[in-house]
Amino acid sequence: MPTEDEARAEALVIRHAAAAYDRTPVLEGVDGVVHAGESVALIGPNGAGKSTLLKAVLGLVPVVHGSITVLGRPPLAARREVAYVPQADTLDTEFPVTAGQVALMGRYPRVGWVRRPGRADRQAAAAALGEVGLADHAGRRFGSLSGGQRQRVLLARAIAQQARLLLLDEPFNGIDASSEELLLAALRRLRAAGAAVVVSTHDLALAHLFCDEVCLLNRHQFAFGPVATTLTPDLLRATYGGHALQLRGDSVILTQP
Amino acid sequence: MTHLLIEPFEVAFMQRALLAVLILGVLAGAVGVFVVLRRLAFVGDALTHTVFPGVVIAFLIGQSIFFGALAAALLSALLLTTLTSTRRVTPDAGLAILLTSFFAVGVVLVSRVQSYTADLSAFLFGRILAVDRAVLIQTLVVAAIVLTTLVALRKELLLRAFDPEGATAMGYRVDVLDLVLNVLVALVVVAAVKAVGTVLVIALIIVPAATARLLVDRVASMTAISCGLGALAGWLGLAISYDVSIQRGVRLASGATIVVVLVACFIFALAVGPGRRALARRFGGPPATSSTPGAG
Repeated sequence: MPTEDEARAEALVIRHAAAAYDRTPVLEGVDGVVHAGESVALIGPNGAGKSTLLKAVLGLVPVVHGSITVLGRPPLAARREVAYVPQADTLDTEFPVTAGQVALMGRYPRVGWVRRPGRADRQAAAAALGEVGLADHAGRRFGSLSGGQRQRVLLARAIAQQARLLLLDEPFNGIDASSEELLLAALRRLRAAGAAVVVSTHDLALAHLFCDEVCLLNRHQFAFGPVATTLTPDLLRATYGGHALQLRGDSVILTQP
Repeated sequence: MTHLLIEPFEVAFMQRALLAVLILGVLAGAVGVFVVLRRLAFVGDALTHTVFPGVVIAFLIGQSIFFGALAAALLSALLLTTLTSTRRVTPDAGLAILLTSFFAVGVVLVSRVQSYTADLSAFLFGRILAVDRAVLIQTLVVAAIVLTTLVALRKELLLRAFDPEGATAMGYRVDVLDLVLNVLVALVVVAAVKAVGTVLVIALIIVPAATARLLVDRVASMTAISCGLGALAGWLGLAISYDVSIQRGVRLASGATIVVVLVACFIFALAVGPGRRALARRFGGPPATSSTPGAG
């Protein structure tokens, strides 16, 4: 059980940050704090810079203005304690690797160069697969699993990494309801254990359901705050521009999610 | 069977040739697994061609062909890694330019020599029967270096091949791992220059691993089959070419015979292996049985 202090510890501090691949920033004015045990949804249309922000937190895209601090350190120095979960369908499904081997990859940075994973690493990988409900799928080829199962294997890899900050890129895209349920349950347990979670998503309902805060992005930050006061029709319309339609009452439809 | 597989190797030069193809088969088979997993067949092909001018230059200035090949291999591995990671040229165009320009330099240089045709064919296709003690030792040293590196960096190379973005996020230098693999491929080419030449070695690297991939779904078993098949095809190819050349009086180039044996194995695996459906998926499935006439 995390103490009060740990629970309020700042996992990720972003101050007026702008990220750029070369000179022109692709994302500007990002400002917010994610505490240990909290989850934040990054919301915005395609090309809004959600992936860029995740990469900037990993230290893979330069921050040209402002700052990003991960667990009190610069992004590159904190990388061992940050886990990145890519979209399952960006990976080669013909690759001859089992679900168990993929989960074990999360241990590689700890194992270190040259050495082979030991018994403790194998146990951690097996336990991580159990966390996402795939304990009996360890020997199956990664590519033979369903999209939702593959996404869960990738989360298991992040769990095996024992990271304090998890970054997930569109984890709920095109996955079945039961996988979604299992992913959310595993993420909630991670949060309860003190991990901070940042999820980029198109799914406003899921953001409502799972996240404490949202960050609305479209080339720059439109809002960063608690779900209840930030995920509002006005702010969504501002973020999505012409791609948001006002329905009766409080509803908004996004025509280009 | 004995007269085909054992008898040819009673003479010393054939024993040396056999030893060379066995080592090369295992070596190329092991490296090939990563080349196939990374889908780098074209990069491997480029490396086989870029080593060629190094061989020619070393020959012209009377230096060791081995070290000429080594220098060219390391230089081209470095150039290839840089070229394929830049965004200004598409990787395939960059590779094609590097491959053809290096190769052309080699041909231009070798064409100035009197014994042009004979030398050219020796560099391109190798002379397995001319393998001597020194060449065997060089091959062994290169094999030891390459195989040790592969075993040591097995998990990192696997992670990079499967998920480069994830590897980068975990803190691995993907560009360094790429350079390592390119240098390993280049070293295999160097080791194979004398025995099978710079052109056919790409078949030794790609075909056993691609065949193994058709048969199994695990990297470990794929590596075992790939190495075993590389060595076995070397032995069989050498024995067949010897038998046909000596007993039947038809000259068969041994390097090419080895490649033909390998390709036969690949076709067999394609026909019977469980991986044929996977392959069909990758290449878009079997051709349609009927064609639809174009609509206007």
